[in-house]
Amino acid sequence: MHEFSICQSLVDMALNEIKKIEPAPVRVIKVIVVIGGLRQIILEQLQFAYDVLIKDTIAEGSVLEVEYIPVCGKCKECGWEGFLEVPVMLCVECGEASVDITSGKELYLKQVEIDE
Amino acid sequence: MNEKTIKVYKDLMGANAEWAQKTRDLLKKKKVVMLNLIGSPGSGKTVLLERLAKDCSDSLSFSVLEGDVETTKDAERLQKLDILASQLLTGGACHLEAKLVHYALKDLPLDELDIVFVENVGNLVCPAEFDIGEEAKIAVLSVTEGEEKPSKYPLLFNEASAVVLTKTDLLPHLNYKIGVCMEAIKDVNGSIPVFQVDALNGNGVEQWHEWIKERVRAC
Ligand SMILES: Nc1nc2c(ncn2[C@@H]2O[C@H](COP(=O)(O)OP(=O)(O)O)[C@@H](O)[C@H]2O)c(=O)[nH]1
Ligand SMILES: [Mg+2]
Ligand SMILES: [Zn+2]
Repeated sequence: MHEFSICQSLVDMALNEIKKIEPAPVRVIKVIVVIGGLRQIILEQLQFAYDVLIKDTIAEGSVLEVEYIPVCGKCKECGWEGFLEVPVMLCVECGEASVDITSGKELYLKQVEIDE
Repeated sequence: MNEKTIKVYKDLMGANAEWAQKTRDLLKKKKVVMLNLIGSPGSGKTVLLERLAKDCSDSLSFSVLEGDVETTKDAERLQKLDILASQLLTGGACHLEAKLVHYALKDLPLDELDIVFVENVGNLVCPAEFDIGEEAKIAVLSVTEGEEKPSKYPLLFNEASAVVLTKTDLLPHLNYKIGVCMEAIKDVNGSIPVFQVDALNGNGVEQWHEWIKERVRAC
């Protein structure tokens, strides 16, 4: 349900970025958002919010593309680094609960593609 | 058609993170601890706070920001025990955001407080996504909810600094395997304490209360 509020930030940010462009672009073609595997974002809900929020803006009709980042960690005990099988966040090598999450919490606007 | 790509690379939580940082700065200046209680509706968050008020009001000065429901019922329950509790108006949102919490916090008599609890909206997903500037997130889980919750909501349990497992007085009536739940918690976050409490009757709450007081001392 928080997808709507997150998508509001996404659309606001994307529109804000292209505001700076001179001359103003004709339309937005695509918006790419990066989401880590630990973020609990339901893509259907994000897409639904996106379609609602871009209505009557220069981004109407644009594609929302999601890039997924897997959950990775590094063990403080043995130095192991690699993919984690969420929800298990123990070290794959030594089994200790001493893993720092190194990726998987990302949530950012990567790029906006426009038609000049 | 002339296509062009604009690289942005900006965090979508950036604005929320700025408000959360303002809150952390304010709490630090005022030497106040803020704990963010996150759990399902009915998991026992308010009873936990009522118990703290009953057992520790002479040694701890605390306030509550009530975000769980739009009615003032929870806040009134706490006010009956002489706890200053303010109701946050979330407009039916599924989580609290940092800006709202910041303004509500500024309205509290922070100079007189050791600790502020935020009772977040009853939900294990959305509140875990939003940093509100708390010192620690506390996952509140009742034994009536099944043992697998920590595996189903890994973000919350991974980010939490403690788990309070509530309603342990009901265990004799349930087929609940505490060991399974403890394993699930250990899988997502091996280093956090789990407090097993029956806050309704006040059994097993001492360690939880001691943990809170330790955080106040360290602040
Ligand atoms: N048996 C028992 N019931 C509890 C306990 N803690 C809370 N409850 C009951 O669970 C219900 C919800 O509690 P409440 O604190 O309002 O949940 P909240 O929605 O998380 O704030 C109420 O009926 C409480 O009396 C407990 O430790 N034991
Ligand atoms: Mg409550
Ligand atoms: Zn290891």
